[in-house]
Amino acid sequence: MKKVRFIGKPSKVEQEKPGMVVEWPRTLIHHHTYGQLSKFFEGLKEEKLFATRCVNPACFNKRLWIPPRADCPDCHQPMEWQELPKPIIGEIFTFTRIEYPGEGIELSTPYYQIDVRIPGLTTIPKGYLLYGEPYIGMKVKAGFRTKNPTNTILDLYWVPVKNWSKK
Amino acid sequence: MIKFGKGNLRIPKWQRPVYAVAGGLTPYRKKMPEYNISELAMIAFRQMLEDNDLKLDPLEVKGLLNYAVYGAFADHFQDQLLCEAKVHDYLGLDPLYNTGIKTGGATGGSTVLNAAMAIASGYADVALAMGWERMDEVDTKTGNFYISTAACKDFETRLARIYASYYAPMARRFSWKYNLSEETRAKVAVKNRLYAYYSPYAQQAGKHTVEEVLQGKIICDPLRVLECCAMSVGVACMLLCSEEMAYKLTDKPCELFMAGGTHTLRVADRRHMEIPLLPHEIPGMYDAVLREMEEKGDRWPGFESFLAARFAAYLAYRMAGIQNPLEELDLVELHDAFTISDIQTYGDIGLRPYGQEADYIESGDAYFGGKLPSNLSGGLLGTMHAVGATGIFSGVECLWQIQGKYDKFHGDPKIWDRWADIGEYKGKPRRKPDDWISLQVPNARQAAWVSHAGVGSHVTMGILRRAI
Repeated sequence: MKKVRFIGKPSKVEQEKPGMVVEWPRTLIHHHTYGQLSKFFEGLKEEKLFATRCVNPACFNKRLWIPPRADCPDCHQPMEWQELPKPIIGEIFTFTRIEYPGEGIELSTPYYQIDVRIPGLTTIPKGYLLYGEPYIGMKVKAGFRTKNPTNTILDLYWVPVKNWSKK
Repeated sequence: MIKFGKGNLRIPKWQRPVYAVAGGLTPYRKKMPEYNISELAMIAFRQMLEDNDLKLDPLEVKGLLNYAVYGAFADHFQDQLLCEAKVHDYLGLDPLYNTGIKTGGATGGSTVLNAAMAIASGYADVALAMGWERMDEVDTKTGNFYISTAACKDFETRLARIYASYYAPMARRFSWKYNLSEETRAKVAVKNRLYAYYSPYAQQAGKHTVEEVLQGKIICDPLRVLECCAMSVGVACMLLCSEEMAYKLTDKPCELFMAGGTHTLRVADRRHMEIPLLPHEIPGMYDAVLREMEEKGDRWPGFESFLAARFAAYLAYRMAGIQNPLEELDLVELHDAFTISDIQTYGDIGLRPYGQEADYIESGDAYFGGKLPSNLSGGLLGTMHAVGATGIFSGVECLWQIQGKYDKFHGDPKIWDRWADIGEYKGKPRRKPDDWISLQVPNARQAAWVSHAGVGSHVTMGILRRAI
């Protein structure tokens, strides 16, 4: 056996008083699966918005789910995919302007994060407004980042619907 | 729609009574290089064993322990898996069994609940509930990202990477629907940070004004910087036991009742449902509100309320035989991670009917001297949010209040001096202020505390009642 060598990098001492604090750098890559929801993310790259729906005749909830689920939480049976017809128009349920995001943010700030009510959905999914000033009740249309897709939920965005005025 | 089966609404019942007898805290700071987490755990443990007027020697009490439960929110922060084993060893408690608990921001509450279950079931006669968080290993922005991974990573986290962005839309919708003013939100921040001013443990106490809060930097509009809690380093613990042990250990035993509720991690998935009524609420009182919601495509609990909190209160009040919380409780400690989440909870736990939450603040009821003061500890906004410790800290503050020990644990200059010069206060020590006042609620007998996770994914409510 050869003599053991140190092959790492010495930890940098950040401070010595009142306690010694050293740097411990990390670079990590996780290999994350979208599992049975992969179709949803693949769909975004093809300008398609897929939802899931329970097809069990005995189940009381027939409304659509986005975020989708592979299995129905009410009857536990598998759900089926259904593409939303275009144009996909929703209404802003509530929103916030992101001024101070967390580390690694992939959108330029500030921007508006919006919660969108879409006809036929049982859910009110979260998204972002590509441009414009939101208000509760504002009509918005789904858009898709097909050029240089991010392969994440950020490939779905919303834009104000033109020629629609607040009544 | 959530539909309850017949058994879902069963009221929990301990197999035998559960008592809380002692608590321990550390100071809370944004950074605390002076101590590692095990050392902080020992500080809280010793305060619990040595300073709570227990009738047995600290080591004798330790010798009665059968079980320990440890809460820590995120391994990312502490960067130490199985930290429970390190702390347990450091406290010298091997080979007693211990269990680690993780339920987000409600970790502390769930930790106490788990320990209580051990007492109630007979697994243990004396159990330790302890929680901690060390959030200073990473910078604030990275910390915010870590916390945001407690939103749905596929559909929510990347949309801001900060938890304030999941509460801010709730603040906007609540304000729009129930006409909540920014000033009322700001008053919560002013109140809780002021109460922290009287606590030697507090991290970000301050005498602020409503104007100051409203002029603060926007984090996620409409939430401003002073409306958001801090990240903290610190530990809290509570000693639970059987009735027989309680009377053996203390002259001030307090009976504990506790229950929890949950709801979807994503607010998006919260479907309209009927409102489970609390004991003092009248059947039909929300019919008109619910009808209006349905007509407008709105929903309960929606973005305004928390089913998990409502469900926890539904069970806990009945478990403790509380008919009207506003009349029967003497104080509450709520999970004020954000001003808005504090306000939302007033409706959920029945301090006001839904839609009238602001009145709990505006009426003065929520203040020291008011009908039901809240967060006299300084809460999360003023004193701490070392996540795994928080739901225990709030319980300990309730315990000390109903034991009549607020002054003992908050007014003693020795405690102030011991923690004056550490963490970010190094070199600019935080001493007991000359204008310190006691926030002891006179003759407090019964208190409730709420521990809350996610955007309401897990909530516990504990109720402590003075037995003598």
